[in-house]
Amino acid sequence: MSELRAKSAQMGAVVALVAILGCSLFVGRAKSFPPQHSVPAGEKEEIVRVAGEGGRRGGRIVIALKAEPKTLNPLTAADTPSREVISTMQGDLVHINRATQLTEPALAKSWKISPDGLQYTLTLRQGLKFSDGRPVDMEDVLFTFRVYLDEAVHATQRDLLIIDGKPITVRKVDAQTVVFQLAKPYGVGERMFDSWSILPRHLLETTYKEGKLAQSGALGTAANQWAGLGPFRLKEYVAGQRLVLERNPYYWKTDEQGNRLPYLDEIVFLFVPSADAQVLRFQSGETDMISRLGAENFSVLSRQARDYTMADAGPGLEYNFLFFNLNELGEKAPAEMVRKQGWFRSENFRQAVSLAIDREAIVRLVYQGRGAALWGPVTPGNPRWANAAIRYPGRSLDKSRQLLAGAGFRLTNDEIGGPKLVDAEGKPVEFSIITSSSNADRAKMAALIQDDLKQVGMRVQVVPLELRSLIDRVTQTKEYDTCVLGIASFDADPNSDLNVWLSSGGMHLWNPSQKHAATNWEAEIDRLMEQQLTATNTVERKKLYDRVQEILVEHHPMIFLASPDILVGAKKGIGNFHPAVLEPYVLWNVEQLYQRNGAENARR
Amino acid sequence: MMRFLLRRLGHAAFLLLGVSVLAFAFSTLAPGNYFDEMRLNPQISAERLSALRADYQVDRPMAVRYARWAVALLHGDLGFSFAYNTPVAPMLWTRARNTLLLTGTATVLVWMLALPLGVWSAEKRGRPADVALSWATAVLLIVPDLALALGLLVLAVRSGWLPTGGMVSVGFDGFSAGQKIRDLVLHLVLPVTVLVASALPVLLRHVRAAVAEALEASFLRAAEGHGISRRRLLYRYALPAAAHPLIALFGFSLGALLSGSLLAEVVMSWPGLGPFLLEGILARDLYVVIGGVLLSTLFLVAGNFAADLLLYWADPRIRAEAAER
Amino acid sequence: MSTRSRLIICVLVLGALHLGVACAGFFAPYDPATQDREHPYAPPMWLHFLDAHRGIHLRPFAYAQESQTGSFDEYEENRARVIPVRFFVSGAPYRVLGVLPLRLHLFGADVPVYLLGTDGYGRDLLSRILFGGQVSLLAGLIGAGLTLSIGLCIGAAAGFWGGWKDEVLMRVAELFLALPWIYLLFAMRAFLPLAVPPVKAFLLVVVVIGAVGWARPARMVRGIVLSAKERNFVRAARGFGATGGYLLRRHILPETANVVLTQAAVLVPQFVLAEMTLSFLGLGVPEPLPSWGNLLASLQHYNVLVSYWWMYLPALAMVPFFLGYLVLASLLQGSSRATKIEVASAGV
Repeated sequence: MSELRAKSAQMGAVVALVAILGCSLFVGRAKSFPPQHSVPAGEKEEIVRVAGEGGRRGGRIVIALKAEPKTLNPLTAADTPSREVISTMQGDLVHINRATQLTEPALAKSWKISPDGLQYTLTLRQGLKFSDGRPVDMEDVLFTFRVYLDEAVHATQRDLLIIDGKPITVRKVDAQTVVFQLAKPYGVGERMFDSWSILPRHLLETTYKEGKLAQSGALGTAANQWAGLGPFRLKEYVAGQRLVLERNPYYWKTDEQGNRLPYLDEIVFLFVPSADAQVLRFQSGETDMISRLGAENFSVLSRQARDYTMADAGPGLEYNFLFFNLNELGEKAPAEMVRKQGWFRSENFRQAVSLAIDREAIVRLVYQGRGAALWGPVTPGNPRWANAAIRYPGRSLDKSRQLLAGAGFRLTNDEIGGPKLVDAEGKPVEFSIITSSSNADRAKMAALIQDDLKQVGMRVQVVPLELRSLIDRVTQTKEYDTCVLGIASFDADPNSDLNVWLSSGGMHLWNPSQKHAATNWEAEIDRLMEQQLTATNTVERKKLYDRVQEILVEHHPMIFLASPDILVGAKKGIGNFHPAVLEPYVLWNVEQLYQRNGAENARR
Repeated sequence: MMRFLLRRLGHAAFLLLGVSVLAFAFSTLAPGNYFDEMRLNPQISAERLSALRADYQVDRPMAVRYARWAVALLHGDLGFSFAYNTPVAPMLWTRARNTLLLTGTATVLVWMLALPLGVWSAEKRGRPADVALSWATAVLLIVPDLALALGLLVLAVRSGWLPTGGMVSVGFDGFSAGQKIRDLVLHLVLPVTVLVASALPVLLRHVRAAVAEALEASFLRAAEGHGISRRRLLYRYALPAAAHPLIALFGFSLGALLSGSLLAEVVMSWPGLGPFLLEGILARDLYVVIGGVLLSTLFLVAGNFAADLLLYWADPRIRAEAAER
Repeated sequence: MSTRSRLIICVLVLGALHLGVACAGFFAPYDPATQDREHPYAPPMWLHFLDAHRGIHLRPFAYAQESQTGSFDEYEENRARVIPVRFFVSGAPYRVLGVLPLRLHLFGADVPVYLLGTDGYGRDLLSRILFGGQVSLLAGLIGAGLTLSIGLCIGAAAGFWGGWKDEVLMRVAELFLALPWIYLLFAMRAFLPLAVPPVKAFLLVVVVIGAVGWARPARMVRGIVLSAKERNFVRAARGFGATGGYLLRRHILPETANVVLTQAAVLVPQFVLAEMTLSFLGLGVPEPLPSWGNLLASLQHYNVLVSYWWMYLPALAMVPFFLGYLVLASLLQGSSRATKIEVASAGV
């Protein structure tokens, strides 16, 4: 249960994956996107033709979710299951292809960016219909952005439409053309349009006027009261058990042969609250696909493989780390905490801790080798933005001890002969690591770190806490020494971690929401991150972000540990199964998935 | 009898009041609230968060929130779920129904097993059969429910005989009535087995102990001496004499109908109250939890009430005492 | 065999088992937290007396296990590498009962020998089972003891006094049964400083659970006291002017022995196993300290359940203890019944 994934994930789709290949598209000069997907000319309905293996119609797939989705409403959805379901029911103007990580035309068939980077002109596809058959027009687009921007609606993604303190303005030019005006250039370019679901005005406007939009889209909504532009639409919800979606007959994509997508008649989401139970369901053939697998369950499934394929999609974007409490605690802080923070603020100390941690062991014992050791924050799953110069130098107890000696610590022996580190005042170095009790992987990392640090004489206690208690300590009471957490960026762009690196950010975990940057290097990171935010040249952005990574590695406010691979599986009968390292890992091409023996499966 | 009923109603009201106040108080003590998780959501700014908190009034003093909630409750409104953004009551009802189906079946089964087995082993107390039974149940007692549940699931996967969790198959709606019942029963087998296995050893021990004690009583020894048949002796005389602790236990069984199956439900993904409340507790979805607690309390009250009525009926001494008051 | 001699045997066996756990440091070859990262999930090594050439060794030996390259948890026995086992060796330091520092171990070898295999960190399972018993048995006994003693007192008081006192006590009992204690436990963990040693924090949780769990036993005890109060011999004794305290002590409480003993034998394992659930909520014994609860908690994982059979061994290790308690309880029941009948006949 990677809880942070749930949180950071959302953002991804929205702020967007600036994959490097796409960058030249929004570099200063105006350029219209050449659609690789041929649009049949002269037809009233402008349909997207998708390349790839042709499938056969019919059948359904069953997939398990770890929790019930909370809502079908894209405005308020904040949890992973809801977002996964919504991604199959809604469409966006410009979409990021999760496999190529490039943008592609979606509801907008083309776009132009003005040379100053402030104006985005999008052309809407003609003849689009919502899943209830009602046509889409520009009013729907305008309505969508009006409600997303309305503060009273509390749309979770709203803040992403506020650039430099000013909301984006949306202006209709004609029936097919719309202009988005920004206050400042935005480095991510057209990727910012990903995941803004275009909403059906005819269904939602009344509710909106009544001020009840946030409450609409509850799971119990009648199927004919909900519509979207995704490949599937609502069919049935059985509380606590399952959510059934059916094929949207008005979907705007076809395969190469001109057959309208999606192939499948139905998707069934089963609610299976435990990860082990999900594995069992998959193994018994009751579900067709599985994602978010841990390495252990993955190896069990691979070992006993029956009629399914298991796939290691390679390193993902999740990075796990240890961080120290570097908050300004003021005068009320207990003396012991002040002393501990004295160690934590010493960069030599932090680096010594980092060097003493055996990341290879973490990868081997926690991820059974299916992961990567980290030294900086950007994982190998994001090669375009990773600073190639930053590499894990390997564990070095000697260097670690030297650094500690240089910082005034002394190594002595305890009463039963073990090593014991004391600080300059002769006080033993003892602290605790808090970790979420519901995440077995991180608990295991903490236990390994505890043992690693014992070898340089530090006494570490691992304290598992239930998630809310942990968040409360880290963000509210600030009563902790160190903490192991992980963040799974949804997208491969530096902007997804903006809130982590900016000293004013709420996720600047070691010292969140600072008024002024507490240290010079944090101020420098702030400056670099602001610069890359508005730089429109990707080469320049990369240079700026490389520097950010260097600073982070130099000062070690977070000690980066390891990143797990994305592990998934599917029945052999599923066609077009191409897992991606971005969410939703197996459902990103849901319109192309098909059952090789469709009819038989439907009967099951 | 009327006064007895009225007094019971008074107890129930007192209990519900106490439970709701204290549940509110505890939930205030526990660190964090529902909106905390959003603190770690990079999309949501601090201003957005405080607007949401103000909207849901999580920052108001506990007394104010309690008063508002209690007033709403009097109008039949159990409050709003933060997570699902819908009223709590309908969500609780559907899940409580599923839980009752599971625990009801299990409770009936466990008593049907425990009574005859307990009487039998009390009769044979000290003999090999009794010893064997007590060892077998001891082993059941020691096996953790969770491991047992997972083990059964593994067996189900390996053999392919039984579904590996859930309440119905995916195609349930298309089934005929007969198929539906069969499907439901197949899905019930594993979770019911787990529940029975976890409740049986304790219950059996109590039944055995109670009946064994009754059998030692002099009136039964006398009855035995009079040549009353063994069967009649056991079921007509010994069991009623042992009824007191058993009826109290039965009350517990009834009271635990909603709360006793959490683990089995989570592992077997049974769509009941257990996983729902657990999620609510961990997410600090306050009104979901309090609604669930109140519902369980209602069952507890009902269980006690049933036990009292049974005792009243079974034990003349208590009847006499109640009449005196 | 008489009940008395059975009782003695049972107490002796239980005593020996507890002594083994109390002196875990001596019987366990290693420190329970020492990780051998080259040997995660190593299967148990067998002790041999016969070597490949049919030579007999008086000193038992084991064959080294070497992990297969490229595999995380597969091992091969290397018949060429013989590891002789030595007895009464000096090894990892430990303290007997938390006081006396020692290094003496029952056995050891130059290369680690894992008689019961290792867990996912390459820690010796035998050592972990032995050390784990210390925390768990303590927790079980404390928890069950608290629950029962509070339950007995309140139940007896309610049943014996009757009237409004009974009413109040029973309403409070119902309240205790219905409350969501989980929140209180979270709150308690939040108020405890993180620096509190983990075992202490866990025992505190157990104390709280034990202290709030009195309602069930109290209600059962009350029921028995209620009916015992009306028995002829009690009425007779009262008629002869026996005081309340005397009645309770001599006539009424002995009646409850059956239920209390049964409950005790059942509650101890329940408290030990409850830790599995507690650790899921972040309230159990944290790594790297072993406890039976967290050893069993690893069995919750599907991969462990199907891949590593030796991880079941902690469950087996608990069996003799818990069976011992059950047997002891039933033997005590037998003897208490005997004395009770004497008392009863003397009373009439």
